[in-house]
Amino acid sequence: MTKSKPQIKIVDATTGEEIVRDATAEEIAQMELDAANYAAQQAQAEAKESARQAILDRLGLTADEAKLILG
Amino acid sequence: MATTTNYSWTTPDDTGLVKDGASAIRTLGSSADTTVKNLNPGTTAGDIDYYTTSTAKARIAIGTAGQVLTVNSGATAPEWAESKGMTLISTTTLTGASVNITSIPATYKNLQVIVRNYKPATDGTTLLLRFNGDATANRHQGDEYNDGTFNANVFGNTSGPVIQTVDNTVATNLSVIDICDYTNTTTWKMAQVYSIGVNDTTTTQYNMKRASIFYNQTSAISSLTFLPGAGNFTSGDVLLYGVK
Repeated sequence: MTKSKPQIKIVDATTGEEIVRDATAEEIAQMELDAANYAAQQAQAEAKESARQAILDRLGLTADEAKLILG
Repeated sequence: MATTTNYSWTTPDDTGLVKDGASAIRTLGSSADTTVKNLNPGTTAGDIDYYTTSTAKARIAIGTAGQVLTVNSGATAPEWAESKGMTLISTTTLTGASVNITSIPATYKNLQVIVRNYKPATDGTTLLLRFNGDATANRHQGDEYNDGTFNANVFGNTSGPVIQTVDNTVATNLSVIDICDYTNTTTWKMAQVYSIGVNDTTTTQYNMKRASIFYNQTSAISSLTFLPGAGNFTSGDVLLYGVK
C-alpha cells in the first residue's frame, strides 16, 4: 500500500484562494528536518527540566519551595 | 417690501397690486430655491451635508472603502479618515501537515492572529509559526519571557513555538499572536505570543505560553506558515486581522 503524502495548504489572504496539494519531496525533507529540530528542542527542554529537578532533589526542596525562595 | 420671518424671502405687501403678482411669485420662488439648495449642498451620491455656521451648510464627498467619519484636527468639521480598528483579513482552517497564509496585504500597521481550537493529530505536539515560508536554518528563535537570558541569544531554528505540548483529544486551545510593524524593511521581526493550551498528560490542567518568536531578516512579513511539530493538524482556525 502506498503511504499518502503529507498535505500542504496554501491560502491567499488577499483573494481567499485555497490550494491543497501533496507536499513535494523537498517539502517532505524540510518537514522531517523540522520534526527532528522540534524533537531536539523538546529533548533540550526535558534535559533542562531534569537538571533543574536534580538540583532540587540534591537540595531537598520541592518545586513549590524553590519558587517561594526565588520569589 | 415684506419679508418672511426665517429666511427673509421677499413677499408682496398687503397693498401690492395684483398685476405684480407673477413677478412677486417668481422672486419668492427664486429665493426659496436658493435657500433650499443652500440647505442641501450635496451634488453627488454619497455626499454628506454639514453646518459650517449656524445657518450655512457645505458638503463632503464620500470617503474611500473602509474609511470612517471623524472630526478634523481643528475640531471644526467632519472628515473621512482611515479606520483605526481591526479588519478581519482571512479565516483559515488548519488541515494537513502545514498551512501557509500568503499575500498578506501590506496596508496595515500591525497584524494580530488568533488561533482557535488547535488540535494536533499527535499527542503533545507543539504549534509552530514560520515567517515568510523561510525554512533556512538559524533564522528563527522562540524565547520565553521568564528564562532570564536577555543578552547574546542565538538564532537556532526554522520556526518558533506558539503553544507547546498540547493534548490531541481536546481542542480548547487559544493563542493570540501580535506582529507589529510587519511591513518595515529595515529591522528584524518578532511576534509576541500568548497562549493557553490543554496539557497533554492531564487535560484538566493548562499549558501556558508567553513568549516571543524572533526572525533575523529585514524583509516585510508577507506570509505566515503554521505547522505542527510533528504529524498533521486535526483541527484549528486561524483568524488574521490587520490593525491600523
